[in-house]
Amino acid sequence: MKQEHSFRQFVLALAVGTALSATTASAAITDQDIADDAKTTADVVSYGLGLQGQRFSPLDKLNTDTVKNLTPAYVLSYGDEKQRGQEAQPLVANGKIFTTASYSRVFAVDAKTGEELWQYDHRLPEGIMPCCDVVNRGGALYDNLFIFATLDAQLVALDQETGKVVWKEKMEDFKAGYSNTAAPIVVKGKVITGVSGGEFGIVGKVEARDAKTGKLVWSRPTVEGHMGTLDGKDNGITGETNKSWPGDLWKTGGAATWLGGTYDAETDSLFFGTGNPSPWNSHLRPGDNLYSSSVLAINPDDGKIKWHYQWTPHDGWDFDGVNEFIPFDLKKEDGTVIKAGGHADRNGFFYVLDRTNGKLINATPFVNQITWAKGIDLKTGRPEYIDDNRPGKPGEGADKGTSVFSAPSFLGGKNWMPMAYNPNTELFYVPANEWGMDIWNEPISYKKGAAYLGAGFTIKPLNEDYIGALRAVDPKTGKIVWEAKNKAPLWGGVLTTAGNLVFTGTPEGYLKAFDAKTGAELWKFQTGSGVVGIPVTWEQDGEQFVAVPSGWGGAVPLWGGEVAKSVKHLNQGGSLWVFKLPKTS
Amino acid sequence: MFRHGRWLLLCLLCQSAGAAEPDPLNSPQWGAMHSRFLKSEPYVFDDNVKVDAPADAEDSLNVPVAFDASALSGIQEIVVVSDLNPLPHVLNFRPKTVPASLAFRMKLQQGSPIRVAAKTADGVWHVGSTYVNAAGGGCTLPSVGTSSGDWSKTLGQVSANVWERAENNRLRIRVMHPMDTGLASGIPDFYIENLNVKDAQGNLLAELDLYEPISENPMLSLDVGKVTTFKLEGRDNNGNKIAAEVAR
Repeated sequence: MKQEHSFRQFVLALAVGTALSATTASAAITDQDIADDAKTTADVVSYGLGLQGQRFSPLDKLNTDTVKNLTPAYVLSYGDEKQRGQEAQPLVANGKIFTTASYSRVFAVDAKTGEELWQYDHRLPEGIMPCCDVVNRGGALYDNLFIFATLDAQLVALDQETGKVVWKEKMEDFKAGYSNTAAPIVVKGKVITGVSGGEFGIVGKVEARDAKTGKLVWSRPTVEGHMGTLDGKDNGITGETNKSWPGDLWKTGGAATWLGGTYDAETDSLFFGTGNPSPWNSHLRPGDNLYSSSVLAINPDDGKIKWHYQWTPHDGWDFDGVNEFIPFDLKKEDGTVIKAGGHADRNGFFYVLDRTNGKLINATPFVNQITWAKGIDLKTGRPEYIDDNRPGKPGEGADKGTSVFSAPSFLGGKNWMPMAYNPNTELFYVPANEWGMDIWNEPISYKKGAAYLGAGFTIKPLNEDYIGALRAVDPKTGKIVWEAKNKAPLWGGVLTTAGNLVFTGTPEGYLKAFDAKTGAELWKFQTGSGVVGIPVTWEQDGEQFVAVPSGWGGAVPLWGGEVAKSVKHLNQGGSLWVFKLPKTS
Repeated sequence: MFRHGRWLLLCLLCQSAGAAEPDPLNSPQWGAMHSRFLKSEPYVFDDNVKVDAPADAEDSLNVPVAFDASALSGIQEIVVVSDLNPLPHVLNFRPKTVPASLAFRMKLQQGSPIRVAAKTADGVWHVGSTYVNAAGGGCTLPSVGTSSGDWSKTLGQVSANVWERAENNRLRIRVMHPMDTGLASGIPDFYIENLNVKDAQGNLLAELDLYEPISENPMLSLDVGKVTTFKLEGRDNNGNKIAAEVAR
């Protein structure tokens, strides 16, 4: 759609001179552009390459035969001393690349030359409290705006042409531990966001604002007992107060929506994952602790919860539950198609749900060792816990409960880095990690703005030779079709294409391309620092491009325990790498 | 042919505008200031625009400057620039119902002319100038608020005073803001972009566009006729809003 459009303008431009290039440059991003993003190849206007977040591109110029000719086109250094984890997904529209960077920065780049067009540095106060590095995962395009969230929990809309602030809204009080690192999404003119801060006893929520003005439309807390709003009026309590939480603990219950969400037009549902219940010490909060460590299907018009599925009821390991829920068509052997969704949880299981009602279809391990549950009961949808593997309750007067060894670790079988689904191979590509942890509980009480864990831990690799493993998971069977091991833990997002390719980065600095069917490594390029960003691809002037941010950081070097051995030598960076397949090849 | 004709036209304009009028301060940057901030429009050096500043900057971070162009009528906009500052653009002032007079404090990186250009209804800029000597360093230092980390506690807070006087009441405003220039290493630019002064009924008295060289916690004084109650509205380059009401 977009591609044809710009081609037509190109022809016109030839006829009447260059006067039209100005109108091309300022084409506003519409709801239709966003709805079509997964199909259009000349732009990337949403986080996930389409709101379903499949991260699949229909482009096939770059394929298993041609990928060897993929070459660097240009690189932009983010400069400054702020070289921390670069976890963003770039966006591409109207000849510009937009990407966020560590410390709440934004860069706009000329997609032809790689020259910086503008840079926005958000001024951060001294007291910000991001738990796990000063990252940002990307922005959203709408109309003439680039919208992104900041570490001090503000939502900022910049003019795509100039980088000037058009509107700015405070999402929450950073002094209470709120922050924001996820990419917003825009659904039907509304910008939808979550919040971070689950380690500080905040209350998670999903919110919708008018994307053109920033005005709040609805707010939906993710912990039962809290009141939602619509157009400034009460809109019903989330769940039922005290049904799955004792006493007052729901008031500081966590369930942060820190990774944003996906949207499925077929069922008109937002899918937002929720984080760990607060505090980590689960003995303080008997019950399921809804809606922590869950996925919520939310009506985008009014913020009402349609259904939920809880991955880890009564989470005691910080398994969290925010990982993306990706809608896809599950083709059964009898030819029927189920509107399903796939999710690889930190708890080590790969889940397939019916996305129309949240019913569990299948749950299978995607990591080699799971200690906390024997499996997920397909009838009840609940885990079959191994009770001995829950870290013990600190005894009366003791400063520590019994320590247990648990796998996966709290950094998860898979963490924030988004997987991809390829409808041609019908496989999910999951950036998995094999690690466990010693974890024990400690007494804790809530104090505003202070860490609220009540637990101690140390992370341990499970194997000598690798932690990371990119795995192709068949959602029909749960079988792992292939894997590509990596010494350091994988921490970057995945992209797959109709060219039968899978792209992802490694902390060792490589962007790599794999055969989507066999897992054979076909191409790699050393970017100079760890790649923990998310690759994208698009077509420009008849050539296929790939872009990925490079810059080592994120949670691993901060929390990594013994894992530090495989990552401590990795150097920081901060740059946007862009590659292309030249026409001649 | 067409292009040739346009050049001719431009040249004619130049002559009629008196571009050849020599800069009384003989600054190497005046030509650049004229094309960049006055859009190469016609100008005259005019003593009716009085610019008052100390001969030597005793504090390069806070150089007091006052101007008065109220001898001219029909002023559309006033632009203040400082030729040799790394960031020359200081402020724009658009008086709507108040006299064309303002006092403020600014940062100077080195000795420089300070220009106050007032555009009258006929499209001509009337330029007043003065020269301030400075030891330097005003623009490349981090603000006190940023160095101490305290800026976020007071950001956007307004204090003000009104003095009743026979001719014109006097309004003094101070807005807490680091006004970082972006030239100090690792500290991005962060400054108030605009500030509107209104009366209690919301009628616009004057508009101000501020830029990086304005001193930290900007202090602005202006003559305000008989008005005694004010509303201030503004925003910085991060979108943080400034809103305050001032009563005598």
